[in-house]
Amino acid sequence: MDLTPTRTQQAALVVLRALIGWHFLYEGFVKILWPAWSRDGAPIARFSSAGYLRSATGPLADLFHGLAEVSWLPWLDHLMAWSLLLVGLGLILGLFTQLACAGALALLALFYLSWLPTRGVYEPGAEGNYLLVSKNLIEAAAVAVVLVFRTGRIAGLDLLRGRERAQPVAPVAEATR
Amino acid sequence: MNLTPEQQELGRRNFLRVVAGTPAFAALGVAAAVKGPVRGGPVRLGFIGLGGQGRVLLEQADPRYAEVVALCDINPLQLQKADESLVKTARQPVKHYADWREMIQKERLEGVVIASPLFTHTDVAVACMEAGLHVLCEKMMGIDDASCRRMGDAAKRTGRVLEIGHQRFYNPVYQAAYAGIVKAGLLGEVYHARLVWHRNGNWRRTAELPSPDYSPAQWGYPTYDHLINWRLYKQYSRGHMAELASHMVAITDWFFGTQAVAAVGSGGVFRFKDGREVPDHTYVTLEYPGGRDAVFTSIESNAFDNYYEAYYGTKGTLILQGEIEAYLFEEGAPAGAAKATGVAVAPKAGPAGSASESRAADAAGAGKGVGAASGGGDRLAAYRMEVSGFCSAVRTGAELKCRPERALGSAKACIAGFDAIEKKARVEIKA
Repeated sequence: MDLTPTRTQQAALVVLRALIGWHFLYEGFVKILWPAWSRDGAPIARFSSAGYLRSATGPLADLFHGLAEVSWLPWLDHLMAWSLLLVGLGLILGLFTQLACAGALALLALFYLSWLPTRGVYEPGAEGNYLLVSKNLIEAAAVAVVLVFRTGRIAGLDLLRGRERAQPVAPVAEATR
Repeated sequence: MNLTPEQQELGRRNFLRVVAGTPAFAALGVAAAVKGPVRGGPVRLGFIGLGGQGRVLLEQADPRYAEVVALCDINPLQLQKADESLVKTARQPVKHYADWREMIQKERLEGVVIASPLFTHTDVAVACMEAGLHVLCEKMMGIDDASCRRMGDAAKRTGRVLEIGHQRFYNPVYQAAYAGIVKAGLLGEVYHARLVWHRNGNWRRTAELPSPDYSPAQWGYPTYDHLINWRLYKQYSRGHMAELASHMVAITDWFFGTQAVAAVGSGGVFRFKDGREVPDHTYVTLEYPGGRDAVFTSIESNAFDNYYEAYYGTKGTLILQGEIEAYLFEEGAPAGAAKATGVAVAPKAGPAGSASESRAADAAGAGKGVGAASGGGDRLAAYRMEVSGFCSAVRTGAELKCRPERALGSAKACIAGFDAIEKKARVEIKA
C-alpha cells in the first residue's frame, strides 16, 4: 500500500505550517513594532513579558516568577520577540523548516509550562476552560506534525537549498512511526 | 439653572436610567481595535499661546499620546507659568519661542495646539497647515466668516488634520445625552433650547508688564491692556458669542442636527463702562430650520444661574449643567415628581475653572451660583480626551469629533449673533 501523502494531504500540511507561521510571525512583529498605535487611535503599551511571567501557574511557577524580576528581562523580551518573528518567517517561507519547527516547539513548550492548566476552571487571561490540554499544547502538536512530515520538502525555500532538494516526502507509515 | 435637591436627585436618576447601556457612555475611548497597529510614538506637538486655556491643554496632554516639544507665547510671563505646568505634570522643560513662525521652522513638529487670541487663529492655523503641521485650534474657529472658511479650505487643500477645540464633544455626559436621549428621540420634538452662561464679575484682567522694557507694540497691540484684555476689544474678539456661546451653539447644532439660519440680538456694555467694546450683557436668539430656536444669554451682573444648556422637547426636558451634570425630566410627570439629578462624571473637586479663560469671572470668585458650587474636577477630562483624540487622528486617522464643518456652523451663528447685537437687526446666516 502506498502511504505517501497525496497532493491534497501535502497541501494541507503546508497550509497548516503557514498558519502556524503567521501566528508566530505576527506575535513577534507586534512586539517589535513599538512604539505603535492601534488603528482606533490608542497608543499600544511597550511589550514586556513581566506580567505574563508573574501570572505563571503550575509546577514551574516559581521559576517564571523569578524571571519576571531579573534585571535583564528587557533582553529576554527582545529575544522572545525576535524568536517569534524568525520562527514565524521560517515556517511561512519554508526556510530552515525543521529548525523553525524545533524553535516553535521550544517556545510553545515554554508557554505551556508557564501556564499549565491544572485547575480545570476558567482563569483570567484564558479564553476558555482547560484541564491539562490547552491551545498551546494543541498548537505544539500541530507543529510536531509539520516537523515529522518534513514539509520543507513539499513547498518552501528549503527546496532551493541542496540538502532538501530531491528528497522524497516521507511516507505516512514512516513519518508516524 | 437652580433645582431643588429633590429635583436634582430625580433628574439624575432619570438620566442614568435612560443612558445606561449607551455605548458612548460605556465604551468611550476604548473601542475595540479591528485593524493592525500603526508604528509611531506620541505626536510631537508645539503649543502656541500659553494663556489659561493653552495651559489647560498643555496640562491635559497625555504623554502617551502627545510629546510636548516646544512652547510659544509673546508674553514671557505666560511661558513661565507654562513651565510650572510642565513641572506640575512631571515633564521636562522644553524650548521657548516668542515667534511661532520661528518655532515651526526650527522644531521637528508634527502638530500644533493653538490657543492664541481669536483674531490670530486663521493666520497661524493656515500657515501651520501649509507647513505640513496638523492643527488643534481653540474655539472659536475664526473671527469672521471668511477666516473660518479659509481654515476649512486650508485643511482640505493640505490634507492636514484640523480640529477645533469644542471640548464638549469629548465629554462623556454630552456623548451619552446625545446617543441615549436626543438621538433616541426621548425628548420628542424640540423647538426651544436655552443656553445660559451667567457670571457676576469683571472680565477685565490686570497684570504687571513682563519687564520694564516689554513692548506690546512689537506684537501689534497698542497697549499692554489690549494684549491681556484682547477679549474686550472688537478688533480681536467677538466677546461672549465667541468665548462662551460658540461651545453651546456647537452642541445645539449637533442635537438639532442642523445649523442656525438667522440671529437676532440685543445687549451692550451696561455694567463695566471701562472702555471695553464688547457687550457685558448679551442676549441672542438663533433661528433654526423647522421653527426651532436657541436663546443664548450671558450677563456679567449675576451668577445665580451659572451655566447650562437646556433642551425643551414635547416629551421631555434635558438639562446639561456646568459640563458635568445632566438632568432629564419627562413631560407630563406630576410636578412633585419632577426629577433632576446631575450625572457627575467624576468626583467633584476644586475650582476647575481657574485655568479656563472663559471662566475668569468664576475663577475670581465672583460667580458662586448653584452651578458653580457643583462645578467639578473632571470637566477637564474632556480636554484630555480632546488632545488625545486629536493625536489619534494625526497618527491613525481616527475620526475627529469636532471637524471644521461642525465648528464652522457654530462660528457662523455666533458671528451673526454678535453682528445682530451691533446692528440691532436680524442677521441671516449664509449657508
